[in-house]
Amino acid sequence: MPLKYLDKFPKKNNARTLWVLKPMWVTLKKMFKTTFHRPVTIMYPYEKEWVPDNYRGRPGLRFDKCIGCGICKKMCPTTCITMVDSDDNGRTVQRPQVNLGRCMMCGYCAEYCPVNAMIVTPDYELAAYTREELIYGPRKLAWPNSTEMMEVHMEGHLLSDLKKGKNEKISLHCVDVIGLIDGKCIGCTRCVKVCPTEAIEMHTYGEDEKGKPKKFPLFDRQKCVCCERCMDVCPKDAIELKEVL
Amino acid sequence: MADMWVTMGPQHPFSHGLWTLKVRVDGEVVKDAIPVIGYLHRGWEKECENRTYPLIIPMADRLCYSASMTWSHVYCKVVEEAMGIELSDRAKYLRVVADEICRLQSHLMWLAAMGTDLGNLTVFLWALREREFFLDLNVKLCGQRLTTNYPRLGGVRNDMPYFFERDCMRAVNRFEKVLWEIIGLTDESSIFLSRMRDVGVISRKDAANYGLTGPTMRGCGVDFDVRRDDPYCNYDLLDWEVPVCKEGDAYARYKVRIEEMFQSCEIIRQAMAKLDSIPKTDPIRVKAPRNVPAGTHFARVEDPRGESLMYLVSDGTDRPYRLKVRSPIFVNVSASKHLVQGVRIADIPAIMGTIDMCLGETDR
Repeated sequence: MPLKYLDKFPKKNNARTLWVLKPMWVTLKKMFKTTFHRPVTIMYPYEKEWVPDNYRGRPGLRFDKCIGCGICKKMCPTTCITMVDSDDNGRTVQRPQVNLGRCMMCGYCAEYCPVNAMIVTPDYELAAYTREELIYGPRKLAWPNSTEMMEVHMEGHLLSDLKKGKNEKISLHCVDVIGLIDGKCIGCTRCVKVCPTEAIEMHTYGEDEKGKPKKFPLFDRQKCVCCERCMDVCPKDAIELKEVL
Repeated sequence: MADMWVTMGPQHPFSHGLWTLKVRVDGEVVKDAIPVIGYLHRGWEKECENRTYPLIIPMADRLCYSASMTWSHVYCKVVEEAMGIELSDRAKYLRVVADEICRLQSHLMWLAAMGTDLGNLTVFLWALREREFFLDLNVKLCGQRLTTNYPRLGGVRNDMPYFFERDCMRAVNRFEKVLWEIIGLTDESSIFLSRMRDVGVISRKDAANYGLTGPTMRGCGVDFDVRRDDPYCNYDLLDWEVPVCKEGDAYARYKVRIEEMFQSCEIIRQAMAKLDSIPKTDPIRVKAPRNVPAGTHFARVEDPRGESLMYLVSDGTDRPYRLKVRSPIFVNVSASKHLVQGVRIADIPAIMGTIDMCLGETDR
């Protein structure tokens, strides 16, 4: 591979350079070219540069798709997302609220969202007069005409699959397995209340020595999105997430 | 005449970013210089200790605004080494393409700043115009112009979008022609040459002693490039050259960077050809474990400014125990006393401009 520039230019020295004639000639040529050519600049506030759909502007939320699992809150590097109670046709649900004054537009909330409710939007003009205006609630986060390109899919392979010779691309969202550590659960049913997808059900297994029914949670792997909210509320740390790699 | 201390920066236009160069001058001749840094200290390394491993990738982008891809690359590389993940070929070449786009736009940013340092605004405008094409490539590939956030632990964020290869080849082919026009502005101008030649000379021995890396080191005859001598991401399978100049002055560092831009175009072209031959079903991302086994690891890549290195101490949890950043500019700026010794004050922008200061990574 030859050097393209260094082979040509060290041979020239100061004496052989014709003062500034060549730069002037290059500039004049460009001047003629740009006089008849269309401009390369745009009149910014009036016309905007085209950006593709996968442009990472502010995060957007599709309210109806969101399940309120709080993974976006957990994966936000700047902790700008908080889960707030919001009204959904009379029902109170948990939805993310983004403080855009702290948001660094990394797109992690859209990437880690298991149901693709968070999207990246091409909206980058976010100036506001007050800091309060920068806090976008769940309804304000909505983006009309969201397309498929605005979703960020986290797809990939599992190392165990690759070792077996299976080359299959899967979604990396809900592959981990949630389970109960034996002998720790006290049957308080807190995990059932916080589970966003109703993947946990309490089942009764016999009675204890006082005659009360013994309850244990059963996890539905099809519904689980691995949001770890049950792990966070469990008073006895009885729930664990086994990683599937 | 008595010596006088002159404080250049942090508002002086020659300091790209917030840093101060205190120079002791005798008339117009510089006798001594002390770089003062720390205006941009954000506690980056300490903040990393409170975040889980994937959350540090977008933070590593913010280390340097124009070399964001290489910084997140070196972070991902060190964590992958700690986790023991081997990348697939497709992910490696995608990282190579993103790295070289980053290097091209970073060098163009340097060329633009170099032009304004010497009072040549035309170079500034032309270089920034060409840079836009590579920023557009960044937008298509990973969604943002500067903070790419493209590599992930165990691969890259997404595969190439449709027509990315065509757009990339167009931009590269066009750029190679246009760069000759910019060279016509600089190398053919006797004013530019007289400002750049024989100022800021540093010998090969001194460069090694100061620990200079990158184009600053290759400009004084040390033939070392991490991409070639400690290959990562299949750089050793691509056919390219490391430009080396022996003079050691500001002009030599300029020449090395210009040639690096041509070589980056060549690397992109070859990596794209390799990507063509790899099937699209090849894995680009594997699932990374949450916890990193305890141990110490380091990884280095060739930054546009030099050799960037990260040293990771992990204690088996999902957060790093310590993440040390070895920034190339932090080391390079320590040679500024040697570089500006005996030159005139007007030459300081030309000399420090060729170091390509970036304060985000220096102060961290």
